[in-house]
Amino acid sequence: MTNKRNLRMNNVLSLVFIGSAAAVLITAMVLFLRISRQSLIRNAETNGRRTIAQVSDTVNDYLGNIDRSLDILTRTLQDPEVDREEFFDVFLSIQPDTVAVSTYSPQGDLMHCYSLLGEVRDNLDENLSFHKDLMQEYRDGFVSAPHVESLFEGSYPWVITMISPLDVVGEESWIALDIRCSNISEYINGVGIGQRGYCFLIDTNGNIVYHPQQQLIYSDLKGENTELIASLQDGTRVEGSVIYTVQTLTNKRWKVVGVSSVQEVITDNVLELRRVLLFAAVGILIAMVLVSTLLSHVLSRPLSDLAGAMEQFEQNADEFTYTPVRGVQEVTALSESFDHMVLRLQGLMEAVLDEQINLRKTELRALQAQINPHFLYNTLDSISWMCEQGNNEEAVLMVNALARLFRISISRGHELIPIRSELQHAESYLEIQAHRYRNQFTYTFDVDEECLDYYCNKITLQPIIENAIYHGINGLVDDGEIYVSVRSEGEDVVFIVSDNGSGMTQEQIDAVMSKERSDQAGIGVKNVDDRLKIYFGNAYGITIDSFPDEGTTVYIRMPKVVEESAYEKK
Amino acid sequence: MRKSRTILICALILFCAFLCCGCSVTSQQSPGSGPYKVYLIVKSTDTEFWLSAIAGANAAKAEYNIDLVIVGPETEEEYEQQNEFIEQAIRDDADAIVFSAISYTGNADTIDKAADAGIKIIVIDSDVDSSNVNVRIGTDNLQAGRMTGNAVMNADLEDFVVGIVNFDKESRNGQEREMGLREVLESDSRVSGIYTINVSTDAEAARIGAELLLNEHPEINVLVGLNEPLAVGVGKATRVRELGGKVKVVGFDTNVQCVDMMRDGIVTALIAQNPYAMGYLGVESAWKLLEGETYNSEQWIDTATTIVDKENMFSQESQRMLFSFG
Repeated sequence: MTNKRNLRMNNVLSLVFIGSAAAVLITAMVLFLRISRQSLIRNAETNGRRTIAQVSDTVNDYLGNIDRSLDILTRTLQDPEVDREEFFDVFLSIQPDTVAVSTYSPQGDLMHCYSLLGEVRDNLDENLSFHKDLMQEYRDGFVSAPHVESLFEGSYPWVITMISPLDVVGEESWIALDIRCSNISEYINGVGIGQRGYCFLIDTNGNIVYHPQQQLIYSDLKGENTELIASLQDGTRVEGSVIYTVQTLTNKRWKVVGVSSVQEVITDNVLELRRVLLFAAVGILIAMVLVSTLLSHVLSRPLSDLAGAMEQFEQNADEFTYTPVRGVQEVTALSESFDHMVLRLQGLMEAVLDEQINLRKTELRALQAQINPHFLYNTLDSISWMCEQGNNEEAVLMVNALARLFRISISRGHELIPIRSELQHAESYLEIQAHRYRNQFTYTFDVDEECLDYYCNKITLQPIIENAIYHGINGLVDDGEIYVSVRSEGEDVVFIVSDNGSGMTQEQIDAVMSKERSDQAGIGVKNVDDRLKIYFGNAYGITIDSFPDEGTTVYIRMPKVVEESAYEKK
Repeated sequence: MRKSRTILICALILFCAFLCCGCSVTSQQSPGSGPYKVYLIVKSTDTEFWLSAIAGANAAKAEYNIDLVIVGPETEEEYEQQNEFIEQAIRDDADAIVFSAISYTGNADTIDKAADAGIKIIVIDSDVDSSNVNVRIGTDNLQAGRMTGNAVMNADLEDFVVGIVNFDKESRNGQEREMGLREVLESDSRVSGIYTINVSTDAEAARIGAELLLNEHPEINVLVGLNEPLAVGVGKATRVRELGGKVKVVGFDTNVQCVDMMRDGIVTALIAQNPYAMGYLGVESAWKLLEGETYNSEQWIDTATTIVDKENMFSQESQRMLFSFG
């Protein structure tokens, strides 16, 4: 291509395609990731809230059941008619969550205890279920933090104590219900928020009531930021890399806390998304490359082919042959138009060339028909003078020569005549001129007999000889010599006209070869050369070798023409 | 021709890209080849101490998705049976063994063999004489022994005659505890006598041993049981002899019977270890080792040890140390 620096069309197309695709993809990805991140956070929050709401409902139900149990117990204990042993046998067996039910005196001393774990130990040094100094708080109902059941021997389950006052009937004024912590597990353990999220129960003071990993926390292997969590309001809070969802239960003492990690819920998802998007982007980019390749095949490849064809046409219009390119409709139309144009142009060019040649031939023929009037006048003047002198014999010779000259000049309008005739023409001319120049020069012919029957353009030698006489011999002190030779050279015939005259400088040669004679009418050297070239092509024509004071040699080259008609038609 | 070839190449690239995509997706789904197989070889499967350790191990198992096999001998003397378990782990192509050695020297060769088989070795609670251990987790027993000594010296006595009931001399941790304990006792002028008896790890054997000590040295006014069954046995001997309060009992670990005896004033102080943490951390560090983390095996990962006495036994912290949440 001529313009290597300019971008090629298919490159531009590919660049634009892939560039815009990449830009759109990246923008879409960034936007999508941002939006999906936000929606993921919202989703996580919603999920967390929903899960926590469900857990809250079940735990509320559970606590409601315990409240009802407490109601039943309260009513039963206030009824002196009831057989307590019998009642508790049944009650404890259908309420396995209940570790112990105990009653306390107004002073806070343990009165009765009903439990499946056995009798209260003899040496009750510590009772974690009932604290005398907290009795003020027990009046409106109380739920303790988790503690160990310390009433019995050999068994220390973790429990929560619910205390409520009894209407004083007898000695008893408090009822305490110890409920196994681990039984809350079924409401909490299985709850997942996302993949690694979980939830746990906490009381308003920040004591963990139940946690799926309670023992890990108790062993100091795990920790929850209980202080922070206890201070959180209901709702969702993102603290660092953790999402907390908090909901207070209806008893106002406990909160359900959901914990999920931002890392898991958002970052992992976003990473996964990014990965998928990246692959999609790579896929789309590859598809774009494919599409642009295809486009370049359909659009720009035919166009560049067309451009190449145009350039070839520009460089060599004559021999160009066009093969149409295929492509989209516009390109095909363009190609067809170009095809038409090429044919049309080539036709026109041929026509112009023919016209030119014909014009030139006509012109040359018209010139040939002319005879130098000075030559005719001088010759006739010489003849007249001979006649006056009574030199009749010589006059006859001159008239004959002149007649022969004219006859051959006319040659019935033929352009090509046998070399034999051309030589006669030249000889006649030389005869006349030799007489006129009073034998200032001599001439010799050296002719290859083989060449005599070939054809040549008429009046080929005469202008050259004329030139030799006027520019070479004329004004020469010594005798001039003109030597005319015809010989065969391979497929060509070569005429040689040489003289020993004053010779020509290169400028003179160029002048002779380039312009029509202006000094006199008649046919010049250039005219001869043009005719040879028009008839036989540029390989033929005249070459001149000349050196001042040494003489001039003119070579006339033309092909061996056997039949006149072969060239005459042109 | 050229056109179709270009398209073919593009199609190939596309195909490869999707192949890569698919590959990476599938490789994401199966990291490694299934869960790690970890053997937990303990000293006993029925004391509260080891049940708690096993509970901890199970918590880690669930958290890290580990194929955990838990085995332990019938009594805490049978190190040969432990060796058999190690052999079994080697045959079973285990990835790691979490191990508590009954015998410091007796288990060493088999542990070396397991390490040679490419198995990671994690020691919990009591050490083994091997340079192939990757991680050591447990109580700093020397320090625990010193704590025991301090607990003894805190007793409300003027003159101290101490009877120590220790377990198998082969067991490293027992020896270290006694070393720490004696270090404290021997540096105190109020101590006029120290007597040791070694018994098998069994409450009944310990009771008999303690009573033997009391028979031989009736002046003994402090009895120490250096692990959970021994503490129970020593307490029982004191109760049987009706020496509660007169002979102070300092024990190891948090057996419920010891707790009851503490409430009854027989046991003065308990050195509470954190077996749950040992079990949990043992299995967790096995997982971390297999995931490529490295540890300094010379440095024990110390699990907290606390002294529980009658004063603080029902504090929030002590409750957590003494009673498992189960």
